[in-house]
Amino acid sequence: MKKRAFLLIGMVAVFLAGCQWTATEAGEEDTDALQIVTTTTMITDLVEQIGGEHVQVEGLMGPGVDPHGYQATASDVIDMMEADVVVHNGLHLEAQLGEVFSGLDQQGKDVLVLEESIPEENLLASDDSAEAYDPHIWFSVENWKHSAAYITEKLSVIDPEHAEDYRANNERYQKELDKLEAYIAARIEEVPEESRYLITAHDAFHYFGEAFGFDVIGLQGLNTETEAGTRDVSNLAQFVADHRIKAVFVESSVPTRTIESLQAAVQQRGWEVTIGGELFSDALGDAAQNAETYVKMYRSNIDTIVDALK
Amino acid sequence: MLVEIRLIAVIVAVACALPGVFLVLRSLTMMSDAITHTVLLGIVLAFFITQDLNSPLLMIGATLMGVATVWLIETLQRTKLLGNDTAIGIVFPLFFSIAIILITRYAGDVHLDADSVLMGELAFAPFRRLTLFGMDLGPKSLWTMSVILALNAAFIGVFYKELKLTTFDPAFAAAVGFSPALLHYGLMTLVSLTAVGAYDSVGSILVVGFMVGPALTGYLLTNRLKQMIGIAVLAAVINSLIGIELAFLLDTSLAGMAAVVTGVTCLLAFLFSPEKGWIKKAALRRKQKREFYTWLEKEGIH
Repeated sequence: MKKRAFLLIGMVAVFLAGCQWTATEAGEEDTDALQIVTTTTMITDLVEQIGGEHVQVEGLMGPGVDPHGYQATASDVIDMMEADVVVHNGLHLEAQLGEVFSGLDQQGKDVLVLEESIPEENLLASDDSAEAYDPHIWFSVENWKHSAAYITEKLSVIDPEHAEDYRANNERYQKELDKLEAYIAARIEEVPEESRYLITAHDAFHYFGEAFGFDVIGLQGLNTETEAGTRDVSNLAQFVADHRIKAVFVESSVPTRTIESLQAAVQQRGWEVTIGGELFSDALGDAAQNAETYVKMYRSNIDTIVDALK
Repeated sequence: MLVEIRLIAVIVAVACALPGVFLVLRSLTMMSDAITHTVLLGIVLAFFITQDLNSPLLMIGATLMGVATVWLIETLQRTKLLGNDTAIGIVFPLFFSIAIILITRYAGDVHLDADSVLMGELAFAPFRRLTLFGMDLGPKSLWTMSVILALNAAFIGVFYKELKLTTFDPAFAAAVGFSPALLHYGLMTLVSLTAVGAYDSVGSILVVGFMVGPALTGYLLTNRLKQMIGIAVLAAVINSLIGIELAFLLDTSLAGMAAVVTGVTCLLAFLFSPEKGWIKKAALRRKQKREFYTWLEKEGIH
């Protein structure tokens, strides 16, 4: 029995040693670029905008993946191991993964959290009593500018050699964000003030509402995992009918079922509400949807909203 | 760190497989399913008291809840008013759903979301380090699971004879003075403890697979207890190593893949076991049928 146990341990040891060797072989991607691992697609885009050619960004969550429902795969482990810098949103958006990221500073990685870049007065309280702040900070363009500046500043410290380029990229990006803000404001003017209601499946758009004067109502609450109760649906249906709201919206990372049941409930109350289209909430889209960057995603959302409500 | 993942997987698998052997032999696999779920309530309740996810009280609370589950189920079974499975079917969803409600209602802010408890995440395990005086001592779960593995091995080693006796002939064991109840609860305590220890690396659904799968493989391949333990341990090691290799190859969930491989080896044993395998049994049945017909013909009966 004992002999067999030793044999077993020996076998395992040999096997593990073998794995170690193949791992180091495979892991050699010889580049000077800073290896950065990010969580959401928005952050991936932001870091690529600022870092440019000097960084190699690996986003763990793909397009259309809901951060609340993210499941780690084997390659994510390798990405996280090889990273020099990790960037996440914070404010509990990434749940477990965020907690793991925060602990990575002990392993000599630079941990950047966008949460740190937002002035406290810009953070919106969450309706969910359990969470202090609404984590969907990217829907305020102003916040996103803060985040871009934060990434620039941190990257310049981590990689001072290319600090000039990072600053130049940031300057260009800030201008792009200014343009985006102007575009949003201009398009919103097309919607009569009394129709500025944004009704969606989950509460991701409060920062947008705050910045651009929309009343934002989500059916599901902040977390995409909690289901809408029947009372929520009927209350909101009454609201939509009373205010004669033209359209409600579905989201890319949330199933359409709940918003369809809302639509049916509104019809029962004698008001026709259309589904205005799909909005990108917790993840960017892909190139085919022309929403693969933050700026394009926001433009696509605004076009969808304005075209349906004007 | 890739080595650490494999090491954690192997240790979790072996720690689960050891008590699993006795669960399979005592037909308690559904009980282990119940325990692995109800420990969640213990974790949640202990968390409300301590407000600290790293507190050892969580382990203790969860383990106690596992034992309480066993006690409650068996008390219900003893009333004879409902079937054995029914008792499990009542207690386990009740406790489990209370836990889920408590989590969604009061613990949204902490990292105690239902997902992470149910699914676990082996991928994150090596990134949760244990540091002492600024020294990195390796992944936390490696330590907790090693301790649990040692406890399981020690329990089985010390009470081997008693476990064997109470498993195969509880009446005789009681007659000669062993207490089957004490050993039973000892075993169930270990099952609960193992489930709690493993929950953040493999989650409470897959942990059942890790307990039952390798043990069942051993059960199908041998009739001797010592060999069964040996095969179960070996299967646990091989399953988790192959599972992780495949997970890296196909880029999927680590614990999920290990559980799939566990199921596959179990199925292989079921089909091809030289003595108890399905193919062997089918061949035997056909042979007996043929022999029966030739006998009928010989006797002239049609």
